[in-house]
Amino acid sequence: MTDISVAPPKVRRQRRRLGVFMKRKVAVAGGLGIVLIFLLAIFAPVLTQYSPTATDFSHLLAPPFSSGHLFGTDQLGRDTFARLIYGTQSTLEVGVVATLFGTAVAVPIGIISGYYRGWVDSVIMRITDVILAFPFLVIAVGLAAILGPSLRNAILALGIAQIPGVIRIARAEALGLREQEFVQAAVASGASDPTILVKYLFPNMLSPLVVQASVAIPGAILGSALLSFLGVGVQPPTPAWGSMLATAQTYLYQDYWLAVLPGLAILLTTLCFNFFGDGLRDALDPSIG
Amino acid sequence: MKRYLYRRAGASFITLVLASMVVFAGVRALPGNMAVALSGENGSAAAIAAITKEYGLDKPIVVQYFDWVKQLLSGNLGISPQTGQSVVSEIAQRLPVTIELTLLSIAFGIVVGIPTGIYAALRRGKAADYASNSIAIFGLSIPSFWFGILLILLFSVRSHILPSSGFVSFFSNPLGNLKDMVMPVVVLGSGVAAILMRQMRSGMLETLRSDYVRTARAKGLPERVVIGKHALRNSVTAVVTIIGLQFGVLLSGVAVTEQVFLLPGIGQLTIDSVFQRDYPTLQALALLIAFSYIVINFLVDVAYSYLNPRVRLVGASK
Repeated sequence: MTDISVAPPKVRRQRRRLGVFMKRKVAVAGGLGIVLIFLLAIFAPVLTQYSPTATDFSHLLAPPFSSGHLFGTDQLGRDTFARLIYGTQSTLEVGVVATLFGTAVAVPIGIISGYYRGWVDSVIMRITDVILAFPFLVIAVGLAAILGPSLRNAILALGIAQIPGVIRIARAEALGLREQEFVQAAVASGASDPTILVKYLFPNMLSPLVVQASVAIPGAILGSALLSFLGVGVQPPTPAWGSMLATAQTYLYQDYWLAVLPGLAILLTTLCFNFFGDGLRDALDPSIG
Repeated sequence: MKRYLYRRAGASFITLVLASMVVFAGVRALPGNMAVALSGENGSAAAIAAITKEYGLDKPIVVQYFDWVKQLLSGNLGISPQTGQSVVSEIAQRLPVTIELTLLSIAFGIVVGIPTGIYAALRRGKAADYASNSIAIFGLSIPSFWFGILLILLFSVRSHILPSSGFVSFFSNPLGNLKDMVMPVVVLGSGVAAILMRQMRSGMLETLRSDYVRTARAKGLPERVVIGKHALRNSVTAVVTIIGLQFGVLLSGVAVTEQVFLLPGIGQLTIDSVFQRDYPTLQALALLIAFSYIVINFLVDVAYSYLNPRVRLVGASK
């Protein structure tokens, strides 16, 4: 048997996926944008000499490009550029941590639900129905009422809200995989249940889970902006784009840039993630055209 | 068919009961004594004692739950410490605003999203497809409250075409009411349109690949009939369920939109009651939202099983 392929099948598949992904220029641009946002978050102290929380009452509501403030200052004289740059930190933290948390909790539950089926599955499905019945805003508002509004509770609420969706994906994948021959073979050769769940089912559902996460992160970022806009998310004086927008609403008539800039920051961030995720889905999931 | 409906109704009922337990437990997890919490910040000792007695807070928790359910069923959800009004009448006043906003936004989403989705599917891989997909991603990425603020900036602050905020009832001033609703509906509805467009596009693409569409084309049916009669009907059914699931997402959007445009609806009441520590109202709202989500999704399932016979057959064979 002569082997015509140079690379082993797995590598070839990865190359093909990478090829599909690179063809989508917007997706690549989105990926680069995400890298840039992470760099802004890490190097925030290097990029601006201003503190995001330092007030300066001699320069209140300064317009952009004035008195040494690139994007001007807010109603307390805080540098808007600094607040935007530092705002990336809490934004990324909420988006990434909430998604990791939601996924880490939901995947094992989903796999167990789909693999064992029966009453275990029924119970888990009812519980996800209950979580679904409470929109993330209600969960967040409830947590804010019980535990007080904070970054941690916003992450918790946005993570919990992701759980039902991820459970359903992991469950659907497990339902399909358990019927496949390689899993049946493992069962027949006496592999233990934990081995099957961890070594056979989990690695084979990574693609849909990664795609889901790439959609969930911008969703959580928008959600956290929404929560801080309503005052139940990140608490002042920590700079958050949502709360910057909420205060800017008061000064809409004279200082509109205060409202335009943080919204633009949110939009650009979620756009990068969504375009990246869209390309990722095309590359990882050939069934969706 | 009947068996499927009974099974779905049973499952929905269990979810309702579980959801009510979550709210019940949530209210009891509030910081401090619940009687103190429910009587408001400056509740007098007598008010606290009255609430302790009314809610039976000295009784075992299971008894408390059933007493609480009894109160719910008789429509007694307490008095708002903020306004002194009954919570039920407070919500009833604000409900029409939210229902109007939600229905108009869904209608906007359907009118914009579904035709665009079909068009994109038919122009697959062409510029129109990429353009509409990019616009949809844009619609999913834009923060609704910021979009609202931009609209206010453009249409109210700069040019005084539309009112920036406020609300008049449709029955007292129909034209004024619709004017108040234009911007909120565009803000909320564009997110719905983006999701429906993407769903409709992928559903349509899947249907177009199916055998019966090929058969219809092979028979020589005009493309108009193949798309309009055969493909469309089957793709729309999937979109129906999405609308049901969107309801929860929409509700969070409603709260912000009402906040931005100062519409006196349920969403604004929810946010207000968090800051006012108005726990009776908060509890009632959490229940109302969860219950309506469950009921709407049950109705969507029923509608779906009428539209798609396969669903009820699968259900019956189990």
